[in-house]
Amino acid sequence: MNWFMKQLRKEEWSPYAAGALLGIVGILTVVLSNKLLGASGGFENIAGLFGKAIAPAAFNNTYFNFVMPAGITYSVILLVGIFFGGMLGAFSSGTFKLRTMDDAQWKTAYGSQPWKRWAMLFFGAILLEYAAGIAGGCTSGLAISGGMLLAPAAFLFIGGMFASGILTALVVYGKRF
Amino acid sequence: MYTYIVALVLGVFFGFALNKAGLTRYTKIVNQFRLTDMAVLKFMMTALVVTMLGVYPLRALGLITFPTVPATYILGNVVGGLVFGVGMALAGFCPGTCVAGAGEGKLDYIVPGLLGFLVGAILYGLTYQWVFPPIASVANYGSVVIPDLWNVNPILAVIVFACMALVLFYLIDRMGMHRKQA
Repeated sequence: MNWFMKQLRKEEWSPYAAGALLGIVGILTVVLSNKLLGASGGFENIAGLFGKAIAPAAFNNTYFNFVMPAGITYSVILLVGIFFGGMLGAFSSGTFKLRTMDDAQWKTAYGSQPWKRWAMLFFGAILLEYAAGIAGGCTSGLAISGGMLLAPAAFLFIGGMFASGILTALVVYGKRF
Repeated sequence: MYTYIVALVLGVFFGFALNKAGLTRYTKIVNQFRLTDMAVLKFMMTALVVTMLGVYPLRALGLITFPTVPATYILGNVVGGLVFGVGMALAGFCPGTCVAGAGEGKLDYIVPGLLGFLVGAILYGLTYQWVFPPIASVANYGSVVIPDLWNVNPILAVIVFACMALVLFYLIDRMGMHRKQA
């Protein structure tokens, strides 16, 4: 029990241990709900909800009606869970804190202006969500959920993601890569 | 109601795992792409192996059926992956890790992060009908898994994959096949 509590309070686990936990969650997702984990899909469902409330005509399309229907779906509840899971993890290690600009390496890469970070995260998030739409899922819904079922789509996605990710890091870091 | 509770509980464990793996931090993600910290790859590969070691035997025993498998349409999967990698290396998060990081109290993830994902979702949903069909019609194999596509025994495929993952972990951890941080 002491050992268990000690592990629980650790800020960071071995990626193998954390990955195994996610693997078990992956099995349970299939067994208990016959669904897959995902993250980007939930944002689509929420976007549809907001969109239909603000501009019903524009959002009355195939996508928000049938492909990713607007509403509080399984994926949306999953997102709520992920949020509280992150919070639980932070509380367990005593690292929960409302904060900005908390990453030292970010400052060496982009400088210490908060507006730059916010602009980059906003722009990056738009790009990520749009790309996930084209690919058919994100790191969770496609790379992990598809990969664990041995779907070729997942490995094509992972290959593309690593190729361009490495190139992008090379450009951002230049000589410091 | 049952499925919602299941989703909530599974989501909590998912977010908890992301937090404990340290993937809610910019440094952890970008250093994977700099190849100086292989945690993201180890985390993902471990999760894949553990899950497939569970779900494939359960399916072989007839105890479960698979949910809808993410569709393979080569051009879209690859192009989506390429654009995704740029965003992930620039921002240092992906949709899941941003949400978990938001729960940790990171205002940078709560405000521009979550808003950005919503804006991206709106843009995609409004342009879907013109963008998606032409891309998805190229080399589309539908919802397929490798064992069926290549006509190999699924359990054998899982064992081979697990062995490949173990070799990868060995090369990284024992042979030091990653870049050393400057």
